[in-house]
Amino acid sequence: MRPESAHAPLLYEASNLRKSYRLGAVTIEALRGVDFNVARGEFVVVAGPSGCGKTTLFNLLGALDDPDSGSVLFEGADLARLSSEARTLFLRRKIGFVFQSFNLVPVLTAYENVEYPLWIDGLGGAERKRRTQDALASVGLAQRMHQRPDQLSGGERQRVALARGLVHDPLVILADEPTANLDSGTGAEIVGLLARTNAERGTTFLVATHDPAIIARSARKVRILDGRVVADESAP
Amino acid sequence: MKFAIIALRNLARNRRRTLLSLLIVASGTVVALLTSGFIRFSFEGLREAIIHGGLGHIEVAPADDLQAGGSSALRSGLPHLTGWKQLRGEVESTPHVLAAGAVVQFTGMISRQERSAAVLALATEPDRERRMHFEVRMRGGTDLPDAPPAEADDGVLLGTALATTLDARQGDLVTLLGMTADGTLNALDLRVIGLFTTGLQDVDSRIVKMHLVSAQRLLGTENVSSLVVGLDETSRTTEVQARLAHLLEGRQPALGVADWRTRAPFYGQVESLYLGIFWFLGSVIFVLVCLSTSNTLMMTVMERVREFGTLLAIGTSRAQVALIVLLEAAWLGLLGALTGDLLGVGLVAVINALGIQMPPPPGATGGIELHLSSAPVDFVAVIGMMLAILGLAAVVPVVISVRLKIADALRHV
Repeated sequence: MRPESAHAPLLYEASNLRKSYRLGAVTIEALRGVDFNVARGEFVVVAGPSGCGKTTLFNLLGALDDPDSGSVLFEGADLARLSSEARTLFLRRKIGFVFQSFNLVPVLTAYENVEYPLWIDGLGGAERKRRTQDALASVGLAQRMHQRPDQLSGGERQRVALARGLVHDPLVILADEPTANLDSGTGAEIVGLLARTNAERGTTFLVATHDPAIIARSARKVRILDGRVVADESAP
Repeated sequence: MKFAIIALRNLARNRRRTLLSLLIVASGTVVALLTSGFIRFSFEGLREAIIHGGLGHIEVAPADDLQAGGSSALRSGLPHLTGWKQLRGEVESTPHVLAAGAVVQFTGMISRQERSAAVLALATEPDRERRMHFEVRMRGGTDLPDAPPAEADDGVLLGTALATTLDARQGDLVTLLGMTADGTLNALDLRVIGLFTTGLQDVDSRIVKMHLVSAQRLLGTENVSSLVVGLDETSRTTEVQARLAHLLEGRQPALGVADWRTRAPFYGQVESLYLGIFWFLGSVIFVLVCLSTSNTLMMTVMERVREFGTLLAIGTSRAQVALIVLLEAAWLGLLGALTGDLLGVGLVAVINALGIQMPPPPGATGGIELHLSSAPVDFVAVIGMMLAILGLAAVVPVVISVRLKIADALRHV
């Protein structure tokens, strides 16, 4: 996995992020002032136990939610200030998601799921086909592209999800617990795939996990506990 | 890959629920088609009954008579249309005119032995009525002969209820009293040659029908009340009316031209009543289909909150998410309405083949055979109606889907 380059420009600058939720009469402070920077091309693992605030942090980094206070700058732009249209374009072009439960569209085949982000962005048919096939081939699913998600194994589904996240060549992939629903062998394959993509394509990866195998392989580990960053370790 | 295909595949995910929704839409379509078919049949039947029952498509009469408005049957003044034979020739040479028959209408008193009744007398030219395909619904005896009756050989048709009142039968002699042009009373003996019905009990109790010549003899005039014009097609009425109005422009004394609808305000009332019933039934169907399908669409959205969250997270715009839900509604409307159209065609054919007898309408004397008259436009219009209903049913589900917060939607279980 590519270590952070001291000279690489910053992709994310998150400062003093706070976010709380109300669950009935109870207010849960999911993030309590997180400061966090990510450079282009980094592979960052955000580690911590369940409920520590990883998913909330990813939602803010992915512009899926807005912080109560603090800010997330992406290439210098405050994500919370994006208009609805600009936010849609940001999600469509700059970012890719890999979810714990794969979140594939069940009525679409693997090919169609991967093709979808290009199609809604208006990419022409021939280019769309080439990139879709390349993305599926890069995750080793060239032979299974016409299967629907319910005809694929968990590992295959996560590969499709990764291909969908990568097909539009985003600047960053946010992978939230990508191996949580997979057995250890398949999980290791997926981790290897993420690392290889990071190394080959230079795509920035932020991976939320409490999987020790992933944490061990990462050059940079950000540990979160009770909504705070308690450690930010980079490999020597 | 198109949103329409995605929407269609989504409907196939829960086949049972989709089939139920399609059944609801199809049922609504069938009910709408059957109702519109019955109403169309009723309108057409009533219209043709009015026209071929003696009113004709168009009436040419002195303008002041027509300006009084209403049905010509209610005009009972002395006939004052002069030069009508030449006028009749001009009218009959107009394209699409089958014939024009002179008519005299007046009120009088009819007696047989000790019994008397006030009557509305209608005098016509039977040969021209036949050319106009007018129908006299005989209930005994024979229709009026084409040839003008000789003096002292006048015949009359009595309405069935009037015949009962007078206790008159075919061959009986009756005396008709009327006011002549010089203001004196005159009487004419007529032989009952037949009984007939107009289909309306109230009218049957006071109508008599005779040859034009007999009426002119009684009233002491050569004039007629009006000319009744029959056309080859009812749809030509407006066109021929305009031609005749142009033809008669500037005549003195002024002549007017009225179509059958103007002369039969009853038709407009029936039309309003039936349309009111149709819209009421339509509203019930509208609400039932709308609520049922809205519930289905709502369930579809609520079950797929996480999926919509995912679509939004990977860059689908909220308008595109709304489009997916709307297209699912449109598919339900289209497929359901097409199914309903097919079922409707079959049911209309079966009902018409069965020859079901309906009881007589209020005031009518005979029952009618149920016949549904559906036009191709009905089948298309009902598809449009169902698409509109489904569009409305989709409003709340669409609003819910586009207002989803992505982070919340992704957490949704």
